Amino acid sequence: MENIIEVSSLAKVFGNQTAIESVDFRVKKGEIFGFLGPSGSGKTTTIKILTGQLTPTSGTAKVFGESVSQLKNSEYRKRFGVLTDNSGLYGRLSIYDNLKLYCDLYDVPLSKIDEVLDAVNLKQEKSKKVSTLSKGMTQRVTLARALIHEPELLFLDEPTSALDPTNSLHIHDGLRALNEKGTTIFLTTHDMQEAETLCDRVAFLNNGKIQLLDTPDKLRKSYSDSTITVELTNEEKVILPAGSEGANQLFNYMNTNQVVTIHSNELTLGEIFVQVTGRKLA
Amino acid sequence: MMISWKRVNAILQKDFKDFSRNLAVSSVIFVPIILGAFYGRMGVESIETHFLLINMTFAMVAAFVQCCLIAEEKEKNTLRGLMLSPASTADILGGKSLLTFIMTMVVVFFTAFLAEYKPANIAIITLAVILSSFFYIALGTMLGLYSKSVLEASVIVMPVIIVFSLGSFITLVVEKYPILQVVTYLPNIQLIDLATKVEAGAGFGDVLVEFAIILGWVIAAVILTVIIFRKRMVD
Repeated sequence: MENIIEVSSLAKVFGNQTAIESVDFRVKKGEIFGFLGPSGSGKTTTIKILTGQLTPTSGTAKVFGESVSQLKNSEYRKRFGVLTDNSGLYGRLSIYDNLKLYCDLYDVPLSKIDEVLDAVNLKQEKSKKVSTLSKGMTQRVTLARALIHEPELLFLDEPTSALDPTNSLHIHDGLRALNEKGTTIFLTTHDMQEAETLCDRVAFLNNGKIQLLDTPDKLRKSYSDSTITVELTNEEKVILPAGSEGANQLFNYMNTNQVVTIHSNELTLGEIFVQVTGRKLA
Repeated sequence: MMISWKRVNAILQKDFKDFSRNLAVSSVIFVPIILGAFYGRMGVESIETHFLLINMTFAMVAAFVQCCLIAEEKEKNTLRGLMLSPASTADILGGKSLLTFIMTMVVVFFTAFLAEYKPANIAIITLAVILSSFFYIALGTMLGLYSKSVLEASVIVMPVIIVFSLGSFITLVVEKYPILQVVTYLPNIQLIDLATKVEAGAGFGDVLVEFAIILGWVIAAVILTVIIFRKRMVD
């Protein structure tokens, strides 16, 4: 499959502080790629380099097969959308007026405004002034703005960080639908649950370096200890090992009607991250 | 450099709505008009006084308002949104400057009208006023790009207001302090010289030097503004 992002030996140094170093990865066209890491790990720096807002100190970064320096060209800018942690909306204007500006800038019909507002659950609020919105609603308007021109590639920096679970789920559904239409999504987050439910592949970023990169499934399998936990009728929880010994024990519990629940002991992405990096996500 | 009228117009419309709701900045445009009305009623008729008001309009409307508009876009991170859109440097700077240009022209007109300034050659003065406004708008854009917030912008722009509004008073002491001779090349002083010559009956050919000097300031300011804007596109 065609690569839409190609990054090789990428590094960015601010003064004497290294933000990222030796970062290598490829993002395939049509996938949702998660860039996971705690605050200050270099996620936003990477997005800024990939969108032409920062110049890398060394290494190469290509988007749509061209160096990121080409992203200054307006034809390339039409092909990607960005949602950053800073809203960049006009507070004195209504939601509608904010989106109208971007419809005109991207040459998109105004009918698209209702469509994207529906996707972020804000259709009824379009005449509200942005300055009167809650943080979560503002975040959803920013997302609507990033979606308005149906970009081929969407960069999302912590897209649901300010949202409640209901709205996060709504946004996840919207992103999946967009991805099914062919939009590639590059997502940074420190929410491992979000990464597990959305991403086709994830990269763990820690101290500016990629520590692991694979599909969530493969990561979980490779870090799984293959045991299962059985909850018994006497409320006891028993961890059974893999193999015939565990199978025999499970057979005995089932044969005597003692089993209430059975759970596999796969690690979550969050637990794998902590195991690999020794750091908690925050 | 390609320019898209649709994008320029989109930014202009957005700026108009945003500016009309921003009383802190929009109220400034009435100061020269009110002063013009006072001066007109007082019967002041010297060219220096008329151009004190016009230069004040340039400093307070073209430079100050533009500086605040740009600084607010930077402060609220909305300028980055425009920079990441398909709008070119010309679209953004054109769109951001058009509202200020229109307001400057309207305020200059009403201020001059209320101050009862009747130029001997309206075509030359109009051309000189339009040309001068480009310089002040570019200067305001530059200062706005340097500022981190509207508050900082309103402080940074103060020397500009003082030098270009009241700078013409310096010419009174130029003979005493020859080093100040350099001030006479400023666009505000050149505009007064041009208007004085026009009032004495000069035609277009007689004020080419003043036009050339003002044009030089405009070109330098626009080039610097584009360079600074492009630097601000990356962190």
